[in-house]
Amino acid sequence: MRCRFMAVVQNNTCLSIRLGTGDLARYPFLNEAGEYLRQSEFGWEELDRPDMADIIERAAERIQVGVSGKVYDRVERYETEILTFLVTLIMVKSIAMEPVLKKYALAEARRAEKFLTEDLKKQNEAQRRALLSKIFGDLFGLTIGTTEDGRLFKVKVTDYLARSSHFHEQEWKMINRLVSGGQVYLGPDETVRLVRNELAVLINSRVHAMSLPALPKAIKEKAEVLRIALAPHYEYTADAVTEYPPCVKHAMEVMNKGENLPHSARLMLATYMLAIGKPTDEIVKMFKNAPDFNERITRYQVEHLAGSKGSRTKYFVPSCDKLRTENLCFATKDCDGIINPTQFGRRRK
Amino acid sequence: MIGSKAVRAAFREYYFKQKLVEAPNNIEQREFGYAQFGIPGMVRHLSFKGAGELTATLVREVPSDVYCSNALYRFPTLPMQEKQWQGADLIFDIDGKDLHLSCVPSHSYPICSNCGHASPTLEKEYACPACGGKKADYVSIPCAKCIEGSKKEAARLVEFLSGDLGIAKDNIRLYFSGNNGFHFHICDDSYRPLDSQARSDLVGYLAGVGLIAESVGVRRSPGSDLAFVKFPRSGLDYGWRKRVAETLDIGASSTIRLTNIVKEKGGYSAFKAELDRITRQMGVRIDPQVTTDVHRVFRLPGTLNSKSGLTKVRCDIARLESFDPFADACQLGSTKVKVKMKTHAKARLKGQTFNIAKEEAELPAFAAVYFMCKGLAEAA
Repeated sequence: MRCRFMAVVQNNTCLSIRLGTGDLARYPFLNEAGEYLRQSEFGWEELDRPDMADIIERAAERIQVGVSGKVYDRVERYETEILTFLVTLIMVKSIAMEPVLKKYALAEARRAEKFLTEDLKKQNEAQRRALLSKIFGDLFGLTIGTTEDGRLFKVKVTDYLARSSHFHEQEWKMINRLVSGGQVYLGPDETVRLVRNELAVLINSRVHAMSLPALPKAIKEKAEVLRIALAPHYEYTADAVTEYPPCVKHAMEVMNKGENLPHSARLMLATYMLAIGKPTDEIVKMFKNAPDFNERITRYQVEHLAGSKGSRTKYFVPSCDKLRTENLCFATKDCDGIINPTQFGRRRK
Repeated sequence: MIGSKAVRAAFREYYFKQKLVEAPNNIEQREFGYAQFGIPGMVRHLSFKGAGELTATLVREVPSDVYCSNALYRFPTLPMQEKQWQGADLIFDIDGKDLHLSCVPSHSYPICSNCGHASPTLEKEYACPACGGKKADYVSIPCAKCIEGSKKEAARLVEFLSGDLGIAKDNIRLYFSGNNGFHFHICDDSYRPLDSQARSDLVGYLAGVGLIAESVGVRRSPGSDLAFVKFPRSGLDYGWRKRVAETLDIGASSTIRLTNIVKEKGGYSAFKAELDRITRQMGVRIDPQVTTDVHRVFRLPGTLNSKSGLTKVRCDIARLESFDPFADACQLGSTKVKVKMKTHAKARLKGQTFNIAKEEAELPAFAAVYFMCKGLAEAA
């Protein structure tokens, strides 16, 4: 196997890889990586070979780090990276837990974001152009240009709007960007941020589209170990949810399953918990199963809602009316006569 | 009143003779709708295979208003949830009444909500001379200033679209709305897939809403209302940053002037408020609802507007300044029609001034229809 890898490396001209092999190591989701596997005549059964044990270990570690919300930032030679990536995909598919897949896909996207930002800052013009056209063009159909001095990147207004309008931060509103002649000018980190979500979606859909053959034993076993290790994250927390109103209960259930909760539902959950006097630490913990959980950011957001950070405005729980319009209301007959979730349970006593 | 035979006859003649009706591209994927004289509501979810079928329907039905979706659908005649949206053209609406010009009260006629009695323009509080009702709907006959105001907005929008957004002028189709404003249809397929949220962001850009102080380099010092200036790395050379930099007369080479301006205004919050005021003033007053609604039916170019009897006509961007809607969009015939005026009213159409003080008058169809559509006259 290794001999065959080396043969491919040495005979690089036979591969239509226009990018450097370092790029393939950092961006193993590129079509060229698949091409590499094809050309090396890689077969599933080879994963059972003893010299593949390292790869399987690395893959398991990479999934665990990703699911914990961190970025796995080690980079080995491209042969190792491509195989590791492939094995992570197979494992995540075989674990078959949607929250694990979502967190993993997001972590992979963050990893790629980190490398891309660095590369776009330091590479020369030709390398940068190749990378841009590969990653943005091939994967997302996005044409990106650079300014003459090479400092900024140019994205078409329509491509920008289609992506940025789903970001909540004011700075992403187009009015806060440099816009001219139908192009939006962005820095390297902003350009990469623009497509990060799509990368997660791409990885997600690749895993969904995979059909697994009979898995090599080594992977099957490791995946089973991981499945058990990762499962407890999604068990119900000790808090009994019985006295919470149904809207809050629903949001907690979704969160406990590790599924994505819309922004408006997160706001309701956090403001409700603040209103009943739950300490910030506990509220932050409630969000730990979110696919994009970041403790520092969540803590700031909860403190912001509590009025202790940022604008110092204390946010109250949205009214039942408001929640109805956002499809977040799951009223039961116990809700009769209340106009705000905080009144739930009080009137009946 | 609007249901009067005379108005309908003039509309029928127009649709029979006129060739101005513009069939949209991808006609078979569009949803059409129309309103009928004297019948409230709209007939929607219609579809036409070609321009011939469309004009035949107009001649047969003589609608009071005709609309066409900016959206393309796989099945335009099915209910909304089943149409299968395939994209929508980018459109804009500039309505003269949203400009809140000071001249408007001087040419607005109150029509009693209770009895329909029309009164001359008002200077004091309204009370219906016929029934004493206090509530009225106001009908405006736009004056030259109103049209100038709308034209200025339209010209500003053209500048934004061609400059900032890089849309070729040939792809910007400008129309007089048929009453008191302008409509824009953008022929650029890359805008078609944008959802309502993306269009809303675009509206914010054009209207000058949401520019944060940090974009021009003014940042809040942590924990206070004090500010410091650090220009963004990407500079102030284009778009809104350039507009603001020019207005405040600042350059990215030195932070001193901007720092002084912020100090003069009284700190970060005060500067932010001032910035918001400046950008809103410089932005274009477009109707956000129209642009962000991706399922809208929008008045079809070349059809008549029942609020005035004028046509939604194409207006050459290069000749916007000399465009006169009361001549260029006044396309009805000149057959004499007898009308009973509800109040003293005046308008200038096709180069003639109609200042009608008497109760009954015989006017050319285009003028008679105009006053009847405005609710200031009825068929004698």
